[in-house]
Formats: sequence, structure tokens, C-alpha cells
Amino acid sequence: MFTRRTFTAALAAGAALMAVPAVAADTLVINSFGGSYEKTHRDLVITPFEEKYGVTVKVVTAYSADTLAQLRAQKENPQFDVVHFSGGLETVAAAEGLLAPIKPEALANYGQMYPFAVADIGKGVGPMYKVAAIGLLYNTEQVSPAPTSWMDLANPAYAKNVLLTDAAANTYGMLGLLMMNQVAGGSIDDIQPGLDFVSKLLKAGATVVSKSPEIQQNFAQGSAWIAPYAQDYAFTLTKAGLPVKFVQPKEGAVFAPITVNLVAGRPNNDLALKFIDFSIRAEASAGWAEALRYSPTNKEAKLADDVASQVIYGEAAAKNLVGFDPIKIGDDRAKWNEAWKRLVAQ
Amino acid sequence: MNGSRNATSVLRHHREPLLLLSPGVAVLVLAFFLPVMQMLVLSVQVDDGAGGIAFGWRHFAKFFVDDYYLGVSARTFRLAALITFICFLLGFPLAWVMARVPARWRMFLILLVVLPLMTSVVIRTFGWLVVLGSGGLLSDFLELLGITDRTTKLMHTESGIVIAMVQVLLPFMTLTILGVLQRIGAELEQAARTMGAGFWRAIATVTLPLSLPGIVSGCLIVFALSISSFITPTLVGGVRLPVLAGSIYSSVTGSFDWHFAAAQSVLLLVATLAVILPYAMLMRRRDAKAAR
Repeated sequence: MFTRRTFTAALAAGAALMAVPAVAADTLVINSFGGSYEKTHRDLVITPFEEKYGVTVKVVTAYSADTLAQLRAQKENPQFDVVHFSGGLETVAAAEGLLAPIKPEALANYGQMYPFAVADIGKGVGPMYKVAAIGLLYNTEQVSPAPTSWMDLANPAYAKNVLLTDAAANTYGMLGLLMMNQVAGGSIDDIQPGLDFVSKLLKAGATVVSKSPEIQQNFAQGSAWIAPYAQDYAFTLTKAGLPVKFVQPKEGAVFAPITVNLVAGRPNNDLALKFIDFSIRAEASAGWAEALRYSPTNKEAKLADDVASQVIYGEAAAKNLVGFDPIKIGDDRAKWNEAWKRLVAQ
Repeated sequence: MNGSRNATSVLRHHREPLLLLSPGVAVLVLAFFLPVMQMLVLSVQVDDGAGGIAFGWRHFAKFFVDDYYLGVSARTFRLAALITFICFLLGFPLAWVMARVPARWRMFLILLVVLPLMTSVVIRTFGWLVVLGSGGLLSDFLELLGITDRTTKLMHTESGIVIAMVQVLLPFMTLTILGVLQRIGAELEQAARTMGAGFWRAIATVTLPLSLPGIVSGCLIVFALSISSFITPTLVGGVRLPVLAGSIYSSVTGSFDWHFAAAQSVLLLVATLAVILPYAMLMRRRDAKAAR
């Protein structure tokens, strides 16, 4: 029967559950991004890690923005040990002191990493366990010969079939804009050349969408032939049966960092560092490329030829990856968003 | 009469109604009034330059001195007016037919009108994306009739937004007018006809004026819903045709500027109230007159 005593007991049990962090030394709390991504994450990193070290990893499904919000709210009493970010928020979190710096000697795999992927670990920005490369997606049946340069977006032959992504709503869109800007002669301090380039594309008949499913829809309906976007998404389109290929233009592809970070102020940093080290090992890096076509950041990652041709692979290709200063992006994003919105609004 | 005794007696006589009201009031306070108050506060909070918070109108000023945001509101209101007008043109005749046919047919027609409401607006809008998109049903049909050519698209156009929004909002107009028409009854029209008025004249001089309250409230509902609608204009209109609700969304999720988003929301709220309050007052005066 539901007596007052059972009620009190239930309440106490509930309170105990909410006040969770009876942090066992053999438990880690991390975030992942849900869906098939999280499944791959478990297969490649989480489950093997639990088996190897005999520990438990508790996974909370939370995207980057949610995770940052939670870290901020829990500043005095953090509940995550390791957090994953995409889209540049790790720089914001590190600047706010929410993430802890990592020493190179704490990571056994440090020496195998491309330098750009571990450049800021001393500032609290965790290593990139992989990157998404942003270059050109094109319809192989319509665009021939294959594009080789970002400038090919301005080719009059497919002026009405260029698809751009809303830079104010989508990080890949913003990185694409910054790259077009760089190729058009601008710099991170002056994005006007990039805006002018986009303006020219729009006048010629380019379309702008805001969400990735719309990219798939436009390629499927045949209205999009060429689009600056991410390589892993090209794989999504290929899997859906569309004749789409990704190309790394000669000026380079932009990389969007996807990082694994150490949360500041947690008791079991040693285990957390082991997890981070485990995340960046060559097998995991290769596994992400095989499963979802993210580009490896570990030089020792070994890929089969068909996979290697669909990611940025090898030191020569990796040298051609372009990165933009995330701190600068964080500072100027709002201003750029406004300029972009004015540009695209009719 | 003594004030406090009056209050006690009100409480005593209305204890049950007040009790019944309280859950609804509690939900409204928690889920509506508090967030709206917070939004009002956010909209006037500004950075005082020394890291502190002061109150000011800067966020509103930003809106009014900026051609971009004025353009966004102009589009929002222009489209809402057009959508409301088309909904009336389609909704009134439909409601009239529904009011005059036998009950069984009326049920069937009401079902037809209401059925789309059973589907999420997101799903219906995705349907429109397929229909309006290039190679879609409507685009092909218009091309077949020679009205448009291959390069004309309905996706990412204001016409596309209007078409999709009219479908989403038509039930609100039709059902509101239907309610009034059913109360009027067919007899007055028949009387006008026997006195020699033609069909159109009877409608124009008898039915239309009598159903005005329903028409006005239908128009208000449709107008208010369409200036605040977000999903359909964003998906069908796209990035290049921003409307106010979409602009609020992008201020929050793209620029993380909650204050400016709140200021835009307050303006939207004020605009909605400016449309609805005069109507409510007018209706009240009318009812008072009718009661006399």
C-alpha cells in the first residue's frame, strides 16, 4: 500500500538519485551527440574503453550548445568529466575556465597527432579527435569536369544551381563563407570580399538554405549541382543513392574541429585523460572515417583505399586543410551574422 | 455596502468556480505571464558599459533605425494582410455552403476542413515543400497550363508562403464564420429573396452585414496567427525572405542575442494587441448596446 512511509522512502531515493555525484573513481560522465553518431561513438571509443579499463562510462546525450549551457550552470559543481564539442564552442568554454589545460605528456598518442589538432591543448581546448572537412559537393552527372577551385562556384554554366548554406544559422555555412572570403582576397579581419563574392552568386541565381536536410532535398530534386559543405554530409547523400561527390579544392578545404575536452574541477582527471587519449588513438580516428567519413587527425590512422579517397587523408592532404582562428570567429560572429542576413535578404 | 463584506460574500458565493479556475490560472501564470514578464524585462536590459546592467531602449532603437528589420516587419504584415484577405475570400463562401447544406453534408465538409488540423503543421509544411518544389506537383501543373516556365519556382517565394499559409489557416476562418452563419439561419435570406432581392444582393445586404462579427474575429485570428507564424514561412520562404518570427529565432540561436530577440517579441506582441484590443472593445460596446 502507498503509505506515508513508502512515500518518504521514495522521496529520499529520488533525492539521492538527483544528488548523483557519489563519484566513484571508476565512473566517467561524458556527453555524446545521439543517434547513429552516438552508436558509432560507443562502438569505437566508449565500449572498448570500458572493457579495457574495467570502468563505467555514463553517456548523456547533449549537443554542443546544450553541453556548454550545462557546464556554465554547473560551474561550481561540474557533473561532466569529459565533454565533446563541435562548432567551435570549446574555445568559448576554455576561455571561461570551464575546461582544464592538458599537458602533451599526459597523452600517449600526442606524437601521432597532426599539430593543428593539438595546438591549443595547453589553453584548455581539447584535442580534435577528428575533423569535418568543408569543401565542394557536386552532382557528378551535371558538373563536368569536376570542380577544382572555390572559384568554380562562380562558373556561369551552373549559376542557377549553386546551393549555399545560411552562414548565420549554420557553422559549416560560416566556415564556407570565410573560405570563399579568403579565396576572393579577404581576410578574417575583412570579410567584405567574401560577402561580395556571395552577392555575385546570389544575383546569378544561387539558392540559400539553412538546414542540412534541405541540401539533400535540393540535390535529390536536381535543383542543386554544386554546394560548399561538409565531406561527411556528402557521404550521407551518397548513401541515399545520389550521384554526389566531395572535392577538396586546390585552395584547400576548411576543417571544422570536433574536440574531446577535459572538464575543470573534477576529481578523477586521470581517468578522464585516459579516455581522451583513448579517443584520439589511431584505430578510433580510422573508425570515424570508415563509419561516417570524418577526416582523421591521427597520422597513424590506416584507411582502406576507398575510404581514404573520401576523406582528407595523409600528411600532404592534411597540410592543405585551412583553419580559422576560433577566438576571432567567436568575437565577430554576431557582426558577421548581421552582415550576412542583410546580404541574403531580398 | 461594506467593501470587505462584499469581498467575503463574493468568495463564499463563488468558491467552486474559483476553485475550478485555479489550475488553469496557475498554468497561465507559470507558462505565460512569467515568461512574458521576463521577456519584457530582457527587452529593456542594456549593458551599462561597466559590465553592469541598466535599463534602456537601445534594443528597440536598433530595430527602428534599421532598414533590414523594418523591411522584415513590412514583409510580415504585408503577407499577413494578404493571407487574411485570401482566407476570407475562400472561407466565407465555403462557410456559407456549409451552413446551408443538410446536416449530414455539413458534417462531411467540417471533417474535410478540420482534417488537416489533425496533422502537425511541420508535416503539412513538408508536404508543401514537395508540392511547391521544382519538379513538384503544383510547379508542373502551372507549367503545363503555360502560366510559368521551367525556371519559375514557388519554393522560396512570397507566393509560396501565401499558398502554404492559406491552407494552414483556412480552417480557423471557415469555422469562425460558420458559427455565426448558423446562428443567423437561412430565413432572413429567404425573406430578402421573396422581397425581390437577387441572390448576390441578399448575400451582400443581409448575410454579409449580419455575419460581420464572425468575419472580423476570423480575420483577427488568421492575422494574429500569420504574423506570429514561424515554421511555414521559414521552411517555404527560406533564408532569403525573413519574417519577424524567424528573425527572433535567428537572434536567439544564431547570434545568441536574447535582449534583441526579446525586444522583437515585445514589438510583435504589441502589434498583435493593437489589432485585437480595438476589436474586443468594439464587440463589448456592441453587446452592451444589444443588451439594452
